[in-house]
Amino acid sequence: MAFVLSVFAGRLVQLQWLENDAYAAQAAQQRLVSLNLPANRGTITDAHGQPLAMTMDARAVFADPGLVEPGKKDEIAGALAPLLDVPAGEIREKLDTPGRFVYLAREVSPERAQQILKLGYRGIATQPDHDRIYPSESLGANVIGLVGRDGHGLAGIEYALDRQLAGRDGRQTVEIGRNGQPIPMSSDQRRPPKRGRDVRLTIDRDIQWKAERAIADQVEQSGADSGTVAVMEPSTGQILGLATAPSFDPNLPDEASPDKIGNRAVTDVYEPGSTNKVITAAAALETGAVTPKTPFTVPPTLRRAGTTFHDSSYHPTEQLTFAGVLAKSSNIGTLLTAERIGSPTLYQYLRKFGFGGPSGLGLPGESPGLLPPPEDWSASQHYTVPFGQGVSANTIQMASVFATIAAGGVRAEPSLIAGTTDEEGTYQPAEPSEKRRVIGEKTARQLSRMLEKVVSEEGTAPAAQIPGYRVAGKTGTAQRVDPACGCYRGYTATFVGFAPADDPELVVQVVLQNPKRGHYGGVVAAPVFKDVMSFALKSRKIPPSGTKPPDIRLYARP
Amino acid sequence: MTVASTPHRLGVSARLAWLRGRAAAVLSLLRRPLTSYYLLIGCSMLLLALGLLMVLSASSVESFEATGSSFTLFQKQAIWAAVGLPAMAIAAQLPPRTYRLCVYPLAVVAVTGLALTLVPGMGVTVNGATRWLDLGFVQVQPSEVAKLALALWGADLLTRKQKAGMLTEWRHLLMPLLPGVGILVLLVMLGSDLGTAMVLFTIFLALLWVVGAPGRLFTGMVGLIGVLVSILIVVEPYRLKRLTTFLDPFADPLQSGYQGVQGIYAVATGGLFGVGLGASREKWSYLPHAETDFIFAIIGEELGLVGTLVVLALFGLLGYAGIRVAMRVKDPFMRLAAVGVTAWLVVQALVNIGAVIGLVPITGIPLPLVSYGGSALLPTLVALGMLLSFAKREPGARRALSARGPGPVGRALGWLGFRRR
Repeated sequence: MAFVLSVFAGRLVQLQWLENDAYAAQAAQQRLVSLNLPANRGTITDAHGQPLAMTMDARAVFADPGLVEPGKKDEIAGALAPLLDVPAGEIREKLDTPGRFVYLAREVSPERAQQILKLGYRGIATQPDHDRIYPSESLGANVIGLVGRDGHGLAGIEYALDRQLAGRDGRQTVEIGRNGQPIPMSSDQRRPPKRGRDVRLTIDRDIQWKAERAIADQVEQSGADSGTVAVMEPSTGQILGLATAPSFDPNLPDEASPDKIGNRAVTDVYEPGSTNKVITAAAALETGAVTPKTPFTVPPTLRRAGTTFHDSSYHPTEQLTFAGVLAKSSNIGTLLTAERIGSPTLYQYLRKFGFGGPSGLGLPGESPGLLPPPEDWSASQHYTVPFGQGVSANTIQMASVFATIAAGGVRAEPSLIAGTTDEEGTYQPAEPSEKRRVIGEKTARQLSRMLEKVVSEEGTAPAAQIPGYRVAGKTGTAQRVDPACGCYRGYTATFVGFAPADDPELVVQVVLQNPKRGHYGGVVAAPVFKDVMSFALKSRKIPPSGTKPPDIRLYARP
Repeated sequence: MTVASTPHRLGVSARLAWLRGRAAAVLSLLRRPLTSYYLLIGCSMLLLALGLLMVLSASSVESFEATGSSFTLFQKQAIWAAVGLPAMAIAAQLPPRTYRLCVYPLAVVAVTGLALTLVPGMGVTVNGATRWLDLGFVQVQPSEVAKLALALWGADLLTRKQKAGMLTEWRHLLMPLLPGVGILVLLVMLGSDLGTAMVLFTIFLALLWVVGAPGRLFTGMVGLIGVLVSILIVVEPYRLKRLTTFLDPFADPLQSGYQGVQGIYAVATGGLFGVGLGASREKWSYLPHAETDFIFAIIGEELGLVGTLVVLALFGLLGYAGIRVAMRVKDPFMRLAAVGVTAWLVVQALVNIGAVIGLVPITGIPLPLVSYGGSALLPTLVALGMLLSFAKREPGARRALSARGPGPVGRALGWLGFRRR
């Protein structure tokens, strides 16, 4: 008996003292379960705090495959498939995964989850989860973007600011009994989730809504491929509205094709065409090469670098002032102006106005456009870049050029984020946009006066006039580079302008790609400008101009 | 220089003398007439108390899930203990003569009970072993009575034969003891209760050993067991797998080895000092039969190596006390019965503990005094009461007991006029 007792004692010493670690670790492994505690994703609001993207309470349905009765797996998969909206085969596969935890579905409504629990299958349970919803549906969708099934941003601000919005998931390690009961008083390690930051955009919900409606309607009416509208505050660079068409509903991500999800205002670049002439004009005025009254003799055609240039419509030789060149959008007049300042100076101003660099919005997929240095320009590019061919930019870059002129020559970098709120509710405004003087105030004012002529009956876009307000702007009707063939096919119709011209508060940029019914910027884009600008002026309670536009001579005396 | 300059050496020899003194004190304690009596009472009560505590801890989770109260099984066990302790006290007062009178009635009860478990509708099968008898208000295991009955019957039988001087012959050594054991073992095996059969056989061998049966007999018996086991395995091959699983339960940790693996997990998780009373994790439905056959695993988990060694030591002391009783009493019946009962309790404890720590196949027998199960507890307590009664009849014990004077209960009874004798 003493011998047997000694053997037993020896075995106990071995099991409980000398070699217990490995067994104890295995024992711990079979009862430890690590749960993810999803952090609440931050809310995205417009400038006034209206929610555009928010996270709602939801449930994640998961299975403990070790606990599911093997004979019932097919039945469970069949019963849960319609409730979870997941194919039965997929659920069946998950029920066979090794381990003690597998998600069957996430973002299930609490009511649905309740129904599932009522079925009473062993090994099927739920835990808190969060569902991302977009209360205004497609409103601002291309700015806000959307999140994927993993809860992380896939596009737009959701992607760009994902780290701030996501917060940090918490984690809880609990010991559970064989039947899934949490064991009380056992080691319960919990790291609470940290809520994501709320992001407040500079977007004004109402202006955004108007801009989306207007561009969507015009894309449809003109048969365009797509269109964008940007509304900007020149003094701050803040984007108040950024609409693209076609758009999508981020609540239904499966129905959105990838080409609708991005933001064309930064991803699509186009040859700006005539709107680019204001940069040539700004450079010429700023360097003193011309004044608004400088006379130009504009022939019907002009041959340079082996190419014959002409204006958009035939005219006999004209005597125009420099202001007239801009108002009439004369290619030949602009070309003659550019010859006075030279390509390097023009390039310098293109850069200063923000071409060839990031817009500053930080939206994903941005293209900075094409602006090679002048030494790489082809012979004809020296003559086409001044009127916006052979160079490309995106909508925001172009809007920023006009915002700079509207703000008296100071460029404020475009921005989309007003500020963020941390989990304690402290609002932290975003850093004010970087500001840089591009042209002198006098040049800016002269340009503004000249651009008012564009909207006059003598200019190219009388359709952009807004009763009571002085409006300055520029049309653009550029040949469009078709990405399918890399050749010129169709047009890009643009209008960009600001109002009130005597004290500019708002810039609106309209771009329509490949419109089929009408293609002049003054015809297709200017009405959208008028529509959106009138609404925005009223919405922001901007008083009408008290003055009349000064009369500027467009024709030089012979 | 004075003598005081060697205090160190003086200290050492003083310490040695003190140690010698202590050793002598312990040895003299063991030589006292009432040593076995006190050891039996002490070990039994400690094991019973620990058992109640561990039954509460080990069964609380599953009781709560089944009935909404964590105390359901504990209450049943406490009631059995409350019935069993007076029965033990009464048993300790009965003279050996009474036990000899009880032999045949008890044997009849045991055989009838075992036979009834095999009657469809009467027997209750739990986990593959048909060893329960449903009496309507309570379920009992006749096999537990059978162990006590065998010990008493065998002791009585061999005593009479020894007095008649018949034990020199093989025939008288084995007849009718072997067929009697055979019937009991057969009845138990028909209920698929291998563990109880082993314990019954152990009692039988212990009795033979005490009457001085020749070594060839034991060899023959072991050979016989070997043949029987082989036949059983040939008839139903799954038994071999059961018997060999204990060698490596981790080969199939989810099916056949599951219980063994979880038992080792529990014991290993306990470590040196245990996770603390009530804090067992394995009892959360991981370990099957945590409150019965595998309660030792929960003791190992909650109380650690310290707890398991104490339990082992308590059974060791219980065995020592039982053998001491057998060696000191003069009457051959008492000697045989004491050895039979001691062998039963100690071997059953070792088979149970050995199964938990993976040294013996899992046969499904409870840990005496500790495991949940009232119909096992009651015969055990009665058997221990009988051992106490025998211990009081050791030479000098009666004188020592009366010299002690009446205890507090006796004094109270005497004051009330109920004084015995």
